[in-house]
Amino acid sequence: MKAALLLLTALSAGAQMRTVELPGKSPLVTFRIVFTSGSADDPTGQEGIAALTAQMLSDSGTKALTYQQLTEAMFPMAAGVSAQVDKEMTTFSGATHVDNLDAYYHLLRDLLLDPGWRAEDFRRVKDDLLNNIKVGLRGNNDEELGKEVLYEAIYAGTSYGHFNGGTVSSLEKLTLDDVKAFYKSRYTQARLILGVAGGYPPAFLAAMKKDFTRLPKEGAAAPKRIATPVATGNRVVIVEKDSRSVAYSIGYPIDVTRAHADYAALLLVSTYMGVHRNSSGVLYDRMREKRGLNYGDYTYIEYFPRGMFLMEPQANLARWSQIFQVWIRPVEPPTAKFALRLALFELDKLRTKGMTSEAFERTREFLGKNVNVLTRTKRAELGYAIDSAFYGTKPYNEFLKAQLGKLTLADVNRVIRKYIRTESLTIAVVTRNGEEFKRQLLSDDASPMTYNSAKPAEILAEDKLVEKWPLKLKAEEIKVKPVSEVFQ
Amino acid sequence: MALKLFALLLCASLPSLAQSQKAFPYEYTQEDLPNGLRLVTVPTDYANIVATYIVVRAGARNEVEEGHTGFAHLFEHLMFRGTPKMTSEQYNQTLNRIGASSNASTSDDWTIYHTTYSKEDLETVVAMEADRFQNLKFAEAEFKTESLAVLGEYNKNSASPFSKMEEVVRDTAYDRHTYKHTAMGFLRDIQAMPQQYEYSLKFFDRYYRPEYTTILVVGDVEAKRVRALVDKYWGAWKRGSYSPDIPVEPAQAGPRTGHVDWPSPTLPLVSIAFKAPAYDDSTRETAALDALANLAFGSTSELYQQLVVKEQRADAIFASAPENRDAGLFEIMARAKKPADLDYVRERILETVQTFRDKPVDGGKLDTVRRRLRYQVALSMDNSDTIAQIVASYLSLKRTPETMNALYEQYAKLTPEDLQQAARKYLTENHRTIVTLTGPAASGPGGAK
Repeated sequence: MKAALLLLTALSAGAQMRTVELPGKSPLVTFRIVFTSGSADDPTGQEGIAALTAQMLSDSGTKALTYQQLTEAMFPMAAGVSAQVDKEMTTFSGATHVDNLDAYYHLLRDLLLDPGWRAEDFRRVKDDLLNNIKVGLRGNNDEELGKEVLYEAIYAGTSYGHFNGGTVSSLEKLTLDDVKAFYKSRYTQARLILGVAGGYPPAFLAAMKKDFTRLPKEGAAAPKRIATPVATGNRVVIVEKDSRSVAYSIGYPIDVTRAHADYAALLLVSTYMGVHRNSSGVLYDRMREKRGLNYGDYTYIEYFPRGMFLMEPQANLARWSQIFQVWIRPVEPPTAKFALRLALFELDKLRTKGMTSEAFERTREFLGKNVNVLTRTKRAELGYAIDSAFYGTKPYNEFLKAQLGKLTLADVNRVIRKYIRTESLTIAVVTRNGEEFKRQLLSDDASPMTYNSAKPAEILAEDKLVEKWPLKLKAEEIKVKPVSEVFQ
Repeated sequence: MALKLFALLLCASLPSLAQSQKAFPYEYTQEDLPNGLRLVTVPTDYANIVATYIVVRAGARNEVEEGHTGFAHLFEHLMFRGTPKMTSEQYNQTLNRIGASSNASTSDDWTIYHTTYSKEDLETVVAMEADRFQNLKFAEAEFKTESLAVLGEYNKNSASPFSKMEEVVRDTAYDRHTYKHTAMGFLRDIQAMPQQYEYSLKFFDRYYRPEYTTILVVGDVEAKRVRALVDKYWGAWKRGSYSPDIPVEPAQAGPRTGHVDWPSPTLPLVSIAFKAPAYDDSTRETAALDALANLAFGSTSELYQQLVVKEQRADAIFASAPENRDAGLFEIMARAKKPADLDYVRERILETVQTFRDKPVDGGKLDTVRRRLRYQVALSMDNSDTIAQIVASYLSLKRTPETMNALYEQYAKLTPEDLQQAARKYLTENHRTIVTLTGPAASGPGGAK
């Protein structure tokens, strides 16, 4: 297939929309319509309004069609529109077969430009968002809960300091008028990136751009760009609920994004330690393969929600501040303290010893080739192209390969010394018996491992160090919270 | 065979999908090696990438011995434990160097190992996979450690009430057939797994054989070269002789019920499951039940519109028809917003079932389902990896991509009467199991006041 053409209209002074287009011969047409406004734009006291607004648009009727009529119109096309809200971006995505392009596009356009704003839709969508917190996160998914609690704790007091889906108390107060006002002030041409890929006719994009000029040119000023918080001291949040096992997420803020000179080097380090759902990472090997502690252990330098359901990262989650994150999948309660110590021990080993030349070369090869796998669909290619537009970098594939090509082992080991640490960490834990778990964390007692099979001497010798690894936590740094208070 | 695309890469001006004939539009080769191994190669126009899916027709269904559930899934893990030629570290490092995306999954009827990578690494992958399928070697200590990772997987799933519902629905609905347990297996068997090293060797010896296996290669490849590589690396694999005696499920005598008390606050769930026939594309029954799931319980159905959109007493309803080698479950699941509404939701579902037994569906609505199914599959097939994923599921049923075309031909022939007949025959009280799940009595959703 002919190489796709990327056309990016630069944002000129004033309030022009941007477009990212990837025309091709495919009979599918993929849309990603992005507003550079997300939950960082939620006013204080209105946490969750960006999410409520987006879902109100994607999951409701239009002026012309009720939600039922809209669902019926989408059904035979096997099409739909989904909304994703993150700190800086709100993305509406969908795809259609070119047979149905006109019909589908008109529905998509009307959803975004002529929303129905019906009270019954608002009631249903608001309920869905409330249940997402009360049931989806608190009740049914300890791992995602831990991750979101971690982000909330790290960014407390900043525009990134609340869950994208809001809080129960703020959502309960939000009205349809609040949502309409938010839409009017944030869904503007100045914040719009129209992304389209696939086999659409040549005149299609021009017509689409014209349609979207109906949005106001400008609205509310963009929120001040977040400064990455500086963490001083450890913080542990223990979420107490009736769980079979113990889920951990550990992290600290970093100022490295795709726009930062150290991005490729730190990505390589994180990939080496534990690339998502891949069996080649150090943590996966030491924790799961060698010791059978759990189902997997990974590290991240970019926000990666829904990791338990996804094998690969999603696009359009671009942020101006990220965290270095360690995800330890649920462990059996008797081995929970050992697992935490082992993760910190491995981070410390990385920090003090760095990477070998062999590991550096191998991981670089992985990233250089795996990027082709990650961008193999038009949907992903379009998403990555929009993120590149956001960060002001070259197309991701080209950008990453160029950055990797320049890297040396010395660069990577410098980046390890600069960014990898085992102090001033935030640790989110989801477990039963929170106070008892707190006591365990505060105790310096050894937490020896016992195995159901013989282990090599190397592992047993390492265990002797790990079981006493100092956690250096203070009582005032550890908070125990019942799950019913999380995101309340 | 020459590379040719039937529909997917044609321009808009050419015949539309609705007019095209085959649901699986790609030309492919299907070849059997003398040892019984089957190779299916699907060249596509998506540049550089190749997806290799190895389908082993051994899943939870094959776990026929008491106390040994979860072994098909355990192998999904053990297969990464190395061979005399290549340790697990070397295997992982090679996958790492080639930038592959690789994993495996297990279901009722199959275990699938998949790798997606750049075309220049085809031989590396074909050779590495051949080595582990023929020469897997794991010591008892490694086996015991890996069985703990399986317990870890059970633990991470255990936070979801939907996982628990699946366990209880199957356990209640079946008496003897191995669909009584999920692919994870019974918890008691997972906990006892570390003591079952010898049994694991037996399981591998039975099922990791060429006659159980189909290799599917999709992407930027030439069929001849793939065949030559498969001959080279897989040709010496020895055919086995084992054939499992899958327990026959006795006819169900009456309706069954079950209940789960979930320990933490959650919204109440109801699942209504009916024993349905084994996958069959020589009749219209499988297609009819799938269309019925869409029409009666999909997002445009009267029931969904009533309960989710208008009354807003439920926030989710979904139904699925089985595509299993033996008689699986046609299952309708709903989540009520309040515990007090659970009975109401269940009754509306049962009324809907009765309506579809009493009256044939509207022909126009059936046409919309047909169109939806065709567009759904076309929209999914936008890269070699998902094409492989879709084909692999059909290979697990009948070892040929023609399965997909045969099923879609039955969809095309469906009449409203077919749906009514299928509902009358299978959605009956004597086939039915109802399981409910509720949180602690004192609290509403998520502990809300």
